[in-house]
Amino acid sequence: MKVTFKGISKQYKGKYALQDFSAELENGIYGLLGTNGAGKTTLINIFVGILRSDTGQILINDVDARTLGIEFLSHIGYLPQYPQFYKNFEVMEFLKYMCELKQIPKSQAEKRVQELLEIVNLSNARHKKIGALSGGMRQRVGIAQAMLNNPNILILDEPTAGLDPQERIRFRNLITKFSENRIVLLATHIVSDIEFIANQVILLKDGRLLKQDTPQALVEGLKGKVWTVTATEEALDEKLHRLKISNMMREQNDIHLRVIDDEQPDVDAVNVQANLEDVFLYYFGEGEQW
Amino acid sequence: MVTLIGYEWRKHFLKWTIVFAVAVFSILNVLKIYSIHGGNSLLADSSWKELYSQMYGQFEGKITDEKIGKLMKIYRPLEQQTADHTASTTYRNSNTQLSNVYEDFNFYRWSYVNPMKYAYDYKAYAHAVVTTANENIIFFKSLNNGYEARKNAAVAELFQGRTITNFSYTEMYQYYVQYDFSSFLVLLICLYGLMSVFLSEKETEMDTLLLTTKAGGAKTVWAKLLASSLFICSICLWFWLIDFVAYSWIYASWDAASSPIYVLEEYIHSALNVSLGQYAALSAVLKTFGMLFFGLAFLALSYLFRNALVPFIIGLLALFGCISLQEAYMDSGHILVKTMNPFVLVVNRELFHKAEYIPLWGYPFPSYIVALLFSILWGTIFLSGLMISVRKNALRKGGG
Repeated sequence: MKVTFKGISKQYKGKYALQDFSAELENGIYGLLGTNGAGKTTLINIFVGILRSDTGQILINDVDARTLGIEFLSHIGYLPQYPQFYKNFEVMEFLKYMCELKQIPKSQAEKRVQELLEIVNLSNARHKKIGALSGGMRQRVGIAQAMLNNPNILILDEPTAGLDPQERIRFRNLITKFSENRIVLLATHIVSDIEFIANQVILLKDGRLLKQDTPQALVEGLKGKVWTVTATEEALDEKLHRLKISNMMREQNDIHLRVIDDEQPDVDAVNVQANLEDVFLYYFGEGEQW
Repeated sequence: MVTLIGYEWRKHFLKWTIVFAVAVFSILNVLKIYSIHGGNSLLADSSWKELYSQMYGQFEGKITDEKIGKLMKIYRPLEQQTADHTASTTYRNSNTQLSNVYEDFNFYRWSYVNPMKYAYDYKAYAHAVVTTANENIIFFKSLNNGYEARKNAAVAELFQGRTITNFSYTEMYQYYVQYDFSSFLVLLICLYGLMSVFLSEKETEMDTLLLTTKAGGAKTVWAKLLASSLFICSICLWFWLIDFVAYSWIYASWDAASSPIYVLEEYIHSALNVSLGQYAALSAVLKTFGMLFFGLAFLALSYLFRNALVPFIIGLLALFGCISLQEAYMDSGHILVKTMNPFVLVVNRELFHKAEYIPLWGYPFPSYIVALLFSILWGTIFLSGLMISVRKNALRKGGG
C-alpha cells in the first residue's frame, strides 16, 4: 500500500491550515507530530474525506482517492480525536453497529467483533455500557472499531490524549500489533507516543511539512546540539531566558538543565545524546517562555 | 436500511427519559380528559346520567314522529310549568324525576329536545343553503364572476342531500373533536426526543467517524429521518389511541360514530361529508401529518446546533409562535394566513368545522387541501435544506 499526498493546501478565512503538503507513505507507522493547531487534524480530515482540500490530491497506490468513491472508505480505519461514542450502547452492540455502517456482511461481523475484542482485551467488557468504560477502555473500543473492516490505512488522531501512562503503553503496543502490513498514521503532540514505535516521523508546523524522516535520523540530525548545563539558583533566571531548555532537574543545590543549541551554550556545557523530545523542541520550541 | 433504522431508534428513542415522559404524559392526558368530562358533560351529574340512560332507549336511533311526539309529551308540560318561573322548587317533588321541575326541564331541553330539534331541522337548513348557493351561482354568472359562481357550486354540491336521520348521544365526540391537550404533549415529547437525533452525533464526536464509513453519510441521514418519522407516528398513535379510548371510556359511549359530522352543532357548515368515526380517523391522520412537519423542523434545528439547550428553546419558541398565530387567526376570515400555519393541521377542526375556500388559479380549493399543500411545501423546504447541508458536510460523497 502506498499513499501519496501531492501539494495539499487548505485555507480557513484566508489563513493556511495546511500549505502545499506533500509526503509519501508506505507500510509502517508514521508519527504525525506537531503542536496544537499545526494542521494535523486538518490533514487527517482531508485524508479521510471529511474536508475537501483547496489544492492538491491524494493518491492511493497511484490512483486519485477521489476516483475511488465509496471504495476508498474500505481502505481506511479511523479513530477521531476525543470520541465518546454512544454512552447508552454496549461495547458489542456499538461494534456491531459500526460493522453495519462499514457494510461488513453479518456473517463476518460477529466473528470479527469477537476477534478484535480479544485483541484489545475487552472480551469481558463486551456487555458493558460505553458510558461506564474508563478512558483507556473507550480508546481500545475506538481502535477496535477502526480495525473492523481490516483497513490498509489506520488513521489515529491524538489517540492517547487523556490516558494514564499504563493505558498509554497498552495502547502503543496495540498500535504496533495492528501495524503489520498496513500504513498507520498517528497524529499526536505527545512525543513519547511515537518515539519507540514510529518508523517515520512527519513534523508539521503552521500547516507546512518541516521534515519527514526516521526517528533515528531526526535524532542524529541533532547530534552536537543537545547539552547539559549545571546552574546555581542565582544564575538560573538568566539561563532560563537565554537558552532553549528541554528539561530541568534539581539535584541538591545544583540545577541540571538540558539545553538545545546549535553552539555550546556555556563553557561548562556538556554535549549529550539527543532524543525525539529534543527534536520536537528544536523544531517547535521557538518562543518558549519560562 | 432496516437495521440502520433499528440502530437509530435504539440510539435516540429507546431512553428511559422518553419512556418516563410518555408514561407521565399519558396519565396527565387521561386526567385532563377526565377533568373535561367533569367540568363540561351534562352527564357528569350521576342523577342526570342515570335518567339519561333510562330515557335513551326510547329516543335513540331513527328520528320518528312518534319519538318526537313522546318527547314533546314530557317536555311541553315542563316548559309550561317553568315558563313564568313560579313552579315549586321543592326538592324531589313526587312529580319530578330530578331535584325539581326546573332541573327536569333543563335536563330534557339540553339532553334531548335541543339536539333532536337540531337534527330534525338540519335537512331544511341544508336545503336552504343549497337553494341560496344556486341563486348565487346565477347571480355571479350574470356578473361574469366565475370564481364566486364556482365557489357557490362547490357549496351547493357539499350541502346537497345533507340530513340527520338518527338521534344519538354525541357529547363524547363534541369534546373529543375539540381536544388539543394531547397534541401539545406529543409536540413536547417530539421536541425532546428529536432534538438529539443529529445533535448527539456532534456532542459525541461521532459525526466525523460516521462520515468515514460507507453507510455513515446519506444512508444514516435517511435512517435517522425514517426512525424519527416512525417515532413521531408511534407517539401520535399512542396518544390518539389514549384520547379515543379515554373519551369512550369516560363518556361511556361512542354511539355517534356512524352519525354524520354535522350532527355536532359546531360543524353545521362542515367542509366534509363524513361520519364522526371517519372524521376521528381523518383528524388523527392529519394531526400526525402536522406532527411530522414539526418533527422535520425540530430535526433541522438539531442539525444546526452543537448544544441541546439553544435549539430546544428555539423549537419551543417556534412552537409557541405557531400556536399564538393559530389562536390569533382562529375563526377569522384570513383563511390563507390560517392555512399557511402548519399548526392548523394539529388543530384541524379549524379546517373542517366550516367550508372555506381559497382561490387558486381561479378555482375554489377547500382550505384543508391548501393547508396540506402548504405543509408539504414547508416540509419539502426543511427536508431539502437538511439534505443539502448533509451533502455539503459529506464532501467526498463516498458515504452511501
